[in-house]
Amino acid sequence: MRPEERKGVVERRRDQFPVGMRVLAVDDDPVCLKVLETLLRRCQYHVTTTNQAAIALKMLRENRDMFDLVISDVHMPDMDGFKLLELVGLEMDLPVIMLSVNGETKTVLKGITHGACDYLLKPVRIEELRNIWQHVVRRKFSTRDRANLDMYEECNKPPNADPDQVHVHVTCGSDQSGRPSKKRKEYCSDEEDEGEVNTQETDDPSAPKKPRVVWSVELHRKFVAAVNQLGIDKAVPKRILELMNVDKLTRENKYRLYLKRLSAVASQQVSIVAALGGRDPFLHMGAFEGLQGYQAFTSSTALSSFTPHGLLNSPRNNSAALGTQGVPASKSIQTMSGSHTLSHSISDAKKYHLSVPGNQQGNLGQGLASLGQTQMQQKWIHEETDDLSTILSGNGLANGMSGTLQSVTSSPLPPQELVECTQAKIGSQPSIQTSSVSSEHLEGAIGVSSSLLDSRVSQLSAIPLSGFSSNGLLIHGSFNNNCTTKLGGTSSACTPVRSSNDLMVARDTKAGASAFGGAMLLPPDTEQKYLNFGGGNSLKQKFDQRTANSLFDPKLVWNTVPSSQLATNVGAHHSPSQRWNNSNSNSTNIGARMIGQTTSSASTVIPQMKTDFLISGDMLMPKNSSDLSIPKLQSELSSSSCSFDGLLNSIVKVEKDDVTFSDDLGCVDFYSLGACI
Amino acid sequence: MEYSNLRRQIVFMKKNLFDQGYLDEQFNQLEDLEDESSPNFLEEVVALFFKDSSRLLTNIEQATDKYPQDFYKLDSLVQQLKGSGSSIGALRMKNECSVFKANCNDRNLEGCRRSLQKIKREHATLKQKLESYFQLLRQVGPRDYAVSSRK
Repeated sequence: MRPEERKGVVERRRDQFPVGMRVLAVDDDPVCLKVLETLLRRCQYHVTTTNQAAIALKMLRENRDMFDLVISDVHMPDMDGFKLLELVGLEMDLPVIMLSVNGETKTVLKGITHGACDYLLKPVRIEELRNIWQHVVRRKFSTRDRANLDMYEECNKPPNADPDQVHVHVTCGSDQSGRPSKKRKEYCSDEEDEGEVNTQETDDPSAPKKPRVVWSVELHRKFVAAVNQLGIDKAVPKRILELMNVDKLTRENKYRLYLKRLSAVASQQVSIVAALGGRDPFLHMGAFEGLQGYQAFTSSTALSSFTPHGLLNSPRNNSAALGTQGVPASKSIQTMSGSHTLSHSISDAKKYHLSVPGNQQGNLGQGLASLGQTQMQQKWIHEETDDLSTILSGNGLANGMSGTLQSVTSSPLPPQELVECTQAKIGSQPSIQTSSVSSEHLEGAIGVSSSLLDSRVSQLSAIPLSGFSSNGLLIHGSFNNNCTTKLGGTSSACTPVRSSNDLMVARDTKAGASAFGGAMLLPPDTEQKYLNFGGGNSLKQKFDQRTANSLFDPKLVWNTVPSSQLATNVGAHHSPSQRWNNSNSNSTNIGARMIGQTTSSASTVIPQMKTDFLISGDMLMPKNSSDLSIPKLQSELSSSSCSFDGLLNSIVKVEKDDVTFSDDLGCVDFYSLGACI
Repeated sequence: MEYSNLRRQIVFMKKNLFDQGYLDEQFNQLEDLEDESSPNFLEEVVALFFKDSSRLLTNIEQATDKYPQDFYKLDSLVQQLKGSGSSIGALRMKNECSVFKANCNDRNLEGCRRSLQKIKREHATLKQKLESYFQLLRQVGPRDYAVSSRK
């Protein structure tokens, strides 16, 4: 048959799915390959075979729409089947079925942890092959469902939205279906299935395309948890993957997502932290949410009931969003950070408290928070273990950096910078990858954090979190702005806390996110910038917030950044928050921008900020006024929120003058975050 | 009549192969896959198997001589052989491969060598039997469905 005819036939047959489903079969054994091919043809699938994994990858990369499903042998001479499995899952998000003559439990488990949607034993029977089309369908549903769910949740989640809801939604999609779109985060409840971020992302208005793998919040959480468990040093993707035990989650996915999430989370966290710092977790959540986008915010508002899951939930949304676009990223980050933060936040939050007190700079805290979040995320990803502390420290530094924040915010500082900055300040910044944050510019730090995140991400080669990085950075930046002193103060406060440890801790505790919030206490000075940070991070923040909120509450001592700071910050947040809602998707990206803007806006807004802060509740709401630059900041924040979380926390503390702050924190957080971002 | 005699012989031979454990259900599955578009599918796959497995066996033997301590390598080579064998339904060979793998696990080189010899014997025996089987089949001509349609 001529190619055109063949193609036509194939096309026609595809309409009668599962008839005509396009399968790519890879097996180095010619006998098995021939048998498999014939069996598949008998099932009326359209089969392409190759005996080399390299060729298979090439074919898939050339045109990922060429196939619906991949079946691969486990033992191949040129490439390990699991590796191929990971790559396919990560890059193309196609369902992959493993084949092997070896049916040992550990091998099967390995297949599952690497993301296989099924594992068949040789000799394969035709009956088994007749059903493999379900994996394709399941995946599609999963993605779609998740996206819808996430979106739904985000939009409709009442302030006290129950994080579990998110889980619920997500769970249905996730499971085996594998990655709905890029990163599927299975929302599954326990640790972590990160809900399909994709769903969220896809629905996200700003999400232009469906992410391949949905880095659900849960996934993120799991990721964070796994990372935490493993410790930064040992947190290699593989182990994380195994720990997470998420189906089809490939390492790459995770890493990338994680990074993204971190940034998102960081920002979120920051916001959350801010939120939390001040008040009840609810606020934090709100804060985070604001960061994420107001939607997220609402979920964050649920922070009060914020549970790690809750955070995760938001992250999930975020995660989903992450996939789609920048905004999602923040969400994911948030989610990621949320998850991470959750774990960490809790611990970190505590830590942050410590640090925060010093810093009153609410903004800073916020910024930090957001940064922390982002950083946290990054950190988590990379470092799991003491990322938080470092992040925090980094964040702290970032704050200290003051001034730099602005710079940071404006441009996604390379994480390194931030890290450095923060580190400088914080001194101990432990792992913060972005640790550069510690460098003087909190801003830088924040941005750095985000960038770090990005870098981290890039390392993973997963998601180009650039947006996040900036977010991370932003946070730092924002901190600095206002707070230059404050930040320093806060950051220092934060850092002393344990710099990184705290943050990191939060991660583990999952409260991490909240921790950030606390950390973020970025001095209100950080103002708007930071606020935006929150906004930016809102994506993450949402997630983070959640966590942050949770964290914060206990710890956030934030003291609320001086109200004045808050005001500014808040103001910043507000806009960002608003923007957040509006631009959830953008938030992540915006993070970077936001920060820069937030700072400016923050400052301006500040006076009224207090009320705005509450943005957490309101912010989320698509206030359209958001077009403020702040929103941008927010987005930025969100990204930074990752790392900021800690910062945020601190900021939150700072900002809140204690009273308003808590409430405001939510808002402020955003701002600060935004600013930071 | 000649035809039906042949047919009976074929059936008988096949039954023997199954009873003696040389073949298992997979072989039948492959036979069922034959249709108009791939009338000699089974024979083609079996031929392919023997060609590939001869090569594999040579590799395994060389490996046991050259890298006797590299059990991991031996194991993975035999695993390939086991995979192909199971794909065509070569039951005895498959089982012997499992024994070999167990020996590898125990790092029992002697055991591995013994297993390898057994695998080779099974391989040779199966090859011979299946060759006779296909010869008979060729004499009979295309499968029943085709024959009936002609009638």
